[in-house]
Amino acid sequence: MNELILTCLGLPLLGFLLIFLSAADEKKIAFISYWCSHALGLSIIALLTLWTIAGFPNHEYQWLTVYETHDYSFPLLFYLDRISAVYLFCTWAIFSIIVKYCRYYLHREAGYKRFFLTIFSFVFGLNLVILSGSIDVLFAGWEIVGIASFLLIAFYRHRMQPIRNSLRAYTIYRFCDIGLLLGSLMSHVLFHESQHFSQLANLFNSTATPPASYGSLWLISTLILIAASGKSAQFPFCFWLPRAMEGPTPSSAIFYGALSVHLGVFLLLRTIPIWSYNYVTRWSVFNIGLLTVIFASISEKTQSNIKGKIAYGSITQVGFMFMEVALGLETLVLIHFLGNAFLRCYQLLVSPSIVVHLLRVEGATDSDFYIENNTKFQFLSPSLRAVLPDILKNTLYVFSLQEGCLELLVRSVLWTPLKRAGSTINAMKLSRKFLYISGSFGFVGLIILVFGLTTQYFAYPVSIFMVTASLSAFSQKHSPYSVWNAIGLSSTLAGLSVWFLNPGALNDVVIFASGIVPAWALGIFTLYHLLKNSNFSDSPFAYRAMSETQPKLSLLLFSSFLGLVGFPISPAFLGEDLLLSHASNEGAWFALPITIAFVINGIAAAKVFQRLCLGSPNELNVNKIEEKTISDVQ
Amino acid sequence: MITLLRFKNNNMAKPEIADTTFNLDTAIAHIAHWLPAQGPIKDFIHHNTLHAVQDHPFHEGIAIAAKVFGARSYLPLSDYQALYQEGRIKANAINWAIEHSGCTVLEQEKLRNSLFEKDHTSHYPPVSLANHGIRYAWLTHLEFNLNALVHPIMFRLLGNFLDQGISTWSLPKSGEHFWDCIVRLTQHSLLPLYPLNGPIAFELLSKSPDEVILICLEKIVGDEQLYEQYLLEMLLAHPGWSGMVSVIEQSPNMLLARREISLKELIAVELLIEHMFLEKKYGSQLVNISSIPYNIDTPLLKQGWVKPTIPLRLKVWHEAMEWSLHSELLIALKAKHSKPNGATNLKPVAQALFCIDDRECSLRRHLEEVNPAIETLGAAGFFGIDFFYQGLDDAYPVAQCPNIIVPKHLIKELSSTPKPSNKPKRGNLTNMHFTAHTMFRGWLYTQTVGIGYAVKMAWDVFRPGSKLPNIRSLSEIESHSQLHLLRETDELTPDGHLLGFSYTEMADRLGGLLRNIGLTERFAPLVVVVAHGSSSVNNPHFAAYDCGACSGKPGAPNARAFAWMANNESVRAILRERGINIPDETRFVAALHNTSRDEVTYFDPHLLIEHPIPALATFQETMSLALQRNARERSRWFELAPQDQTNEIAHAHVKNRATSIFEPRPEYNHSNNLYAIVGRRQLTRDLFMDRRAFLHSYDPQTDAQGDIMARILSAVIPVCGGINLEYFFSRIDNSVYGAGTKLPHNVIGLLGVANGVEGDLRTGLPHQMIEVHQPARLLIVVEQTTDIIDKTVAKLADHLKEWLDNEWVRVVSCHPDNQQLFLYSANGWEPVILPENEEAPVSSKSQDIFIGKTQTIPVHQFIRNQA
Repeated sequence: MNELILTCLGLPLLGFLLIFLSAADEKKIAFISYWCSHALGLSIIALLTLWTIAGFPNHEYQWLTVYETHDYSFPLLFYLDRISAVYLFCTWAIFSIIVKYCRYYLHREAGYKRFFLTIFSFVFGLNLVILSGSIDVLFAGWEIVGIASFLLIAFYRHRMQPIRNSLRAYTIYRFCDIGLLLGSLMSHVLFHESQHFSQLANLFNSTATPPASYGSLWLISTLILIAASGKSAQFPFCFWLPRAMEGPTPSSAIFYGALSVHLGVFLLLRTIPIWSYNYVTRWSVFNIGLLTVIFASISEKTQSNIKGKIAYGSITQVGFMFMEVALGLETLVLIHFLGNAFLRCYQLLVSPSIVVHLLRVEGATDSDFYIENNTKFQFLSPSLRAVLPDILKNTLYVFSLQEGCLELLVRSVLWTPLKRAGSTINAMKLSRKFLYISGSFGFVGLIILVFGLTTQYFAYPVSIFMVTASLSAFSQKHSPYSVWNAIGLSSTLAGLSVWFLNPGALNDVVIFASGIVPAWALGIFTLYHLLKNSNFSDSPFAYRAMSETQPKLSLLLFSSFLGLVGFPISPAFLGEDLLLSHASNEGAWFALPITIAFVINGIAAAKVFQRLCLGSPNELNVNKIEEKTISDVQ
Repeated sequence: MITLLRFKNNNMAKPEIADTTFNLDTAIAHIAHWLPAQGPIKDFIHHNTLHAVQDHPFHEGIAIAAKVFGARSYLPLSDYQALYQEGRIKANAINWAIEHSGCTVLEQEKLRNSLFEKDHTSHYPPVSLANHGIRYAWLTHLEFNLNALVHPIMFRLLGNFLDQGISTWSLPKSGEHFWDCIVRLTQHSLLPLYPLNGPIAFELLSKSPDEVILICLEKIVGDEQLYEQYLLEMLLAHPGWSGMVSVIEQSPNMLLARREISLKELIAVELLIEHMFLEKKYGSQLVNISSIPYNIDTPLLKQGWVKPTIPLRLKVWHEAMEWSLHSELLIALKAKHSKPNGATNLKPVAQALFCIDDRECSLRRHLEEVNPAIETLGAAGFFGIDFFYQGLDDAYPVAQCPNIIVPKHLIKELSSTPKPSNKPKRGNLTNMHFTAHTMFRGWLYTQTVGIGYAVKMAWDVFRPGSKLPNIRSLSEIESHSQLHLLRETDELTPDGHLLGFSYTEMADRLGGLLRNIGLTERFAPLVVVVAHGSSSVNNPHFAAYDCGACSGKPGAPNARAFAWMANNESVRAILRERGINIPDETRFVAALHNTSRDEVTYFDPHLLIEHPIPALATFQETMSLALQRNARERSRWFELAPQDQTNEIAHAHVKNRATSIFEPRPEYNHSNNLYAIVGRRQLTRDLFMDRRAFLHSYDPQTDAQGDIMARILSAVIPVCGGINLEYFFSRIDNSVYGAGTKLPHNVIGLLGVANGVEGDLRTGLPHQMIEVHQPARLLIVVEQTTDIIDKTVAKLADHLKEWLDNEWVRVVSCHPDNQQLFLYSANGWEPVILPENEEAPVSSKSQDIFIGKTQTIPVHQFIRNQA
């Protein structure tokens, strides 16, 4: 069984690597993906069969420990229970259907290889999440799914709109990572060695008193809930899901119709013991679900495009699932998940048929297809419809049309202030920045001298500068070098602040730096080569399409980006975790600025990557004018 | 039309426009001219994508369009060079193109030397109004992405206002105008429409659209001379929606649910939203466009138009490619000096009348190859009978004729047997994934039947082609129905149509068509009228696959009407008086060719009981053999189809394609189109034309004044030329003129498709339809003397004549007696000189030619053994 768990994870990874190494030849890629998806299917079926024969146990498997110190360990833990089994089954069914579907659907499409690469990395990440045995492993999978999602939304990179929407989704993902990152960290702090999912339940059962205070339990539950809401497009993040429908239809079907959108529910199911302990948190989960159901079902009514309608339909059902989870109806949730996943996937796949369906099938039978406006507000009872004043109807319509104004809300609360702060910082003169830095250091140094405190307190100004650097990277538009340097600086400062905080953590800071510094250097090197023949600030808003003109360098820039954001292939991923754990050991508040800095850095780096590597290659040559013209000749 | 005048007199670059004050209505009329003219997707009508510049010579026109839309005008240079290496572009065609380039001898030499230089960028789009005009300054100078903010809001409003049935709550009240609707949503709502909240917007909204436009323009643009350009750029930033609004404004009947909208209202709302965003961002510090310095290469309307730059090298390459391809046919036509005329006078055992469509070109060849005693004819697929048609199950009547004709008659389908009332009730479970339901029902359904979709999905993907319930394919037309063709009263229907035709009207239409195609004698005992349609699943562009001469519908009703009329004794009697004598033993049968599945359905079998037709059974056998061969010929284009297989496997494969939900290419439609030939079948019967030709039958002997030819060309030029140019431009720049790849398309309001949820409507053809197309203009070969064609051209309407004079299609006259060829140009006829030593390749049967080929095939000549 353990081996089968590993093959379930290894096969998608193998498929990814094989496709990556193979030539961009459609037949070969189809061949590899065909066999890998079937081998994966076999191993999933075998795993589930063995598990059934064993009598549905809650099976845990610790493969190896990546890193261990006296008070910290990062084991690769896997866990298979009822919930993972259901999700795994669904993944298998939908993935094998989609791979077969795409063999024909994507035929002759530019980006065939790219598509299959992304979809295999997605399934790898997904299986990692599903089979994860601890919140750390889950976070690794979560990140992989996020990046795959980012790439698939921007699959049609020649157009601005997919690029913008992929950034929007990525931003939400990133923001919600704060929740998961801090959540995982707090689980370290709270449950120490017992952060295994398998032991969570026992932890809460065995003792009469909870393993942590209500306050910290509430905090960790809220953080988890934020992460779950973001991934599942729940209130108040509903708006990103319909806008993510930019990739090829089957990719939208597998990501946003079927699998990715239900990961939030999975996270909630996994962490039930933590948040269900308290009625307050239970109640918030229920309310998030309820609000989502209200907002999404009203928004769905005025969607005039079919994919948006399906997306809101799906969000509504996920909202129901949140409510069901909160009520403790786990089995129902699992059934509901399967039903919703398959239904939405199918709906998206056949969504192009809607024209024929409504005009030829529905129109042909006297069913409820309407051409005239007779269905306005039909959900209201006829008597109510007559008396409801027009002004309320209009209000309801506008509310629905603007999808509950959620995007405006989230944008004005989360995005705009950061951007404002960043541009204020960027507008500052260099001398003044220097003045501030030296001034505050001098001030803190003075205080330390006067009061005889430890150097630990240097961590305060350092962490403030770290956030400042991140903000500066975030709203820098004119120079990709500055962005990359600011990100590097911010990460370095993060390391520095932890070192100040806990001088004994030098070793771990080095691990973190071993991920960040090479990525930073690689980024600067790549940027230099990418931009050496052009002046970026001449047209900072053009998308430069370098992934087509300079594919190798773009790939390097992409890996540098992954390194800087602490993607699970880089030591920075582990380092990030270590830094946070040190930081919170010294004071839980300290983890927050570091997390915020990490999150903002990720968004800033993604923006630069998009500007440089995506877009349509023609735009660059707009000023080129054919020298031989008919007027010359005549 | 002042805009156009300006183009023509661009040497003058007169400030005549600059002097006149801005007039909103004239400006809107100018702007509307530039917008795409594609209607709602349910009827897809092929047209010249660049109709706006059709009054210019072809190359000049596309250069102007490139400057306006920011599109490519030619293939990349390397593509042409590769075609030359492959031998598809001939050296003599390059000579021909250089000679026709209008250069002096010295420049010709220079040009010739430059042809083979490497250049990867010369085909890139030029600096254009749509992308780099004065509005570009918002982004470059103010770092404010106005489009990104305004477009999503605008598209949502337009989408919901025009929606034809996707959203559950519809936006407009009946008869409400777009502007009034926006006013209602802002002024009479507790939650005002963002960003139209705030006192400024409220005040503006109480004015009329005209006033609002002027006020906003003054704030945003500032300089009156730039107003028109700003508006044009604003609308060209989303050509799909602007075009849709413009089309709906001009012909509101295209929508099933009427919507009152005009370009002016669209402009007013969009300007207002722009204004409000700028207001929110800059407040009173807003600088207007005219005060921002613009680049030296920003195109400006007020200075008149810069002379369009025609990339000469690409133009010459392109002309060389077209001439090479055209010559392939011309050589084959010229080659047959000695035609065995004896065979033509034999009376055929059966005649089959097909649509002019290029997809029927190969089926006709296979049919004649299987049984040489069958004669085939071609005519525009509405068979000369124009009417609105409402089938038994249709919610609304549709026009069954080219869109240039507005029919006056309505034909309804009647059931001859009382229909069992087993109509599905609401909430039919088999279609629950399409129907909207209430929140609770949705929850319940998802819980319960959702899992069943795993099975359905797996079935659809792994076992396509198996019959699914409830998907009616085209071929299953109700057999126990009849068309209500004969008019009983002269009373008009509520829509103002006449219900049915009188005998005289029938005879007019029938006689007209028979004369057009030259079938006035020698009727075979069996005449099969074959309409065509195409069945596909999961395909929003389905209408673009059906008959172009029927405005994107299957032509079955026309074929049925034609057969009914031609069999009717009263009609025959009138025709006899007019000199067309249909013998009593001749019977007409209607049929439908499904071009994606390669199946033929024969209609009205109940009539056969009264009038048995012995020849029909043999004909059907021949036809099914021909269909299999046709399927095999089509399969060579499908890369994933089984190659080197039998005809039966190929046929099974094409049938599967048409029912697979994952197949974005049920067929390749018109992607081979290149030639249109109007003439007798003898001219083309011995040619293998690789499904490239629109074939219209015509008897040159009976048309001394060119009237018949004028009628034929009036349909051939817009229908075939429109198909050709739509494919042409969608292929040349698929992202601007075409609809891009089908894969991310999202159906918006049953009006069209867009990329993603917030995208602009896409016009033109998707990539999957044009990817194998060779973009070349249509060559119309007319079997008639130049004198008579001159008479014909004089009779053509001006908007058709400009197709010929400006070379949007090429016309060659083929002398009926000696096959001498002359090329038409506005300056007169030019004899076609073909290289002496080149001859069309020969072969004895179709399958020898196409098997194993994956590219287009030059015209071949058949050598038939006269046994």
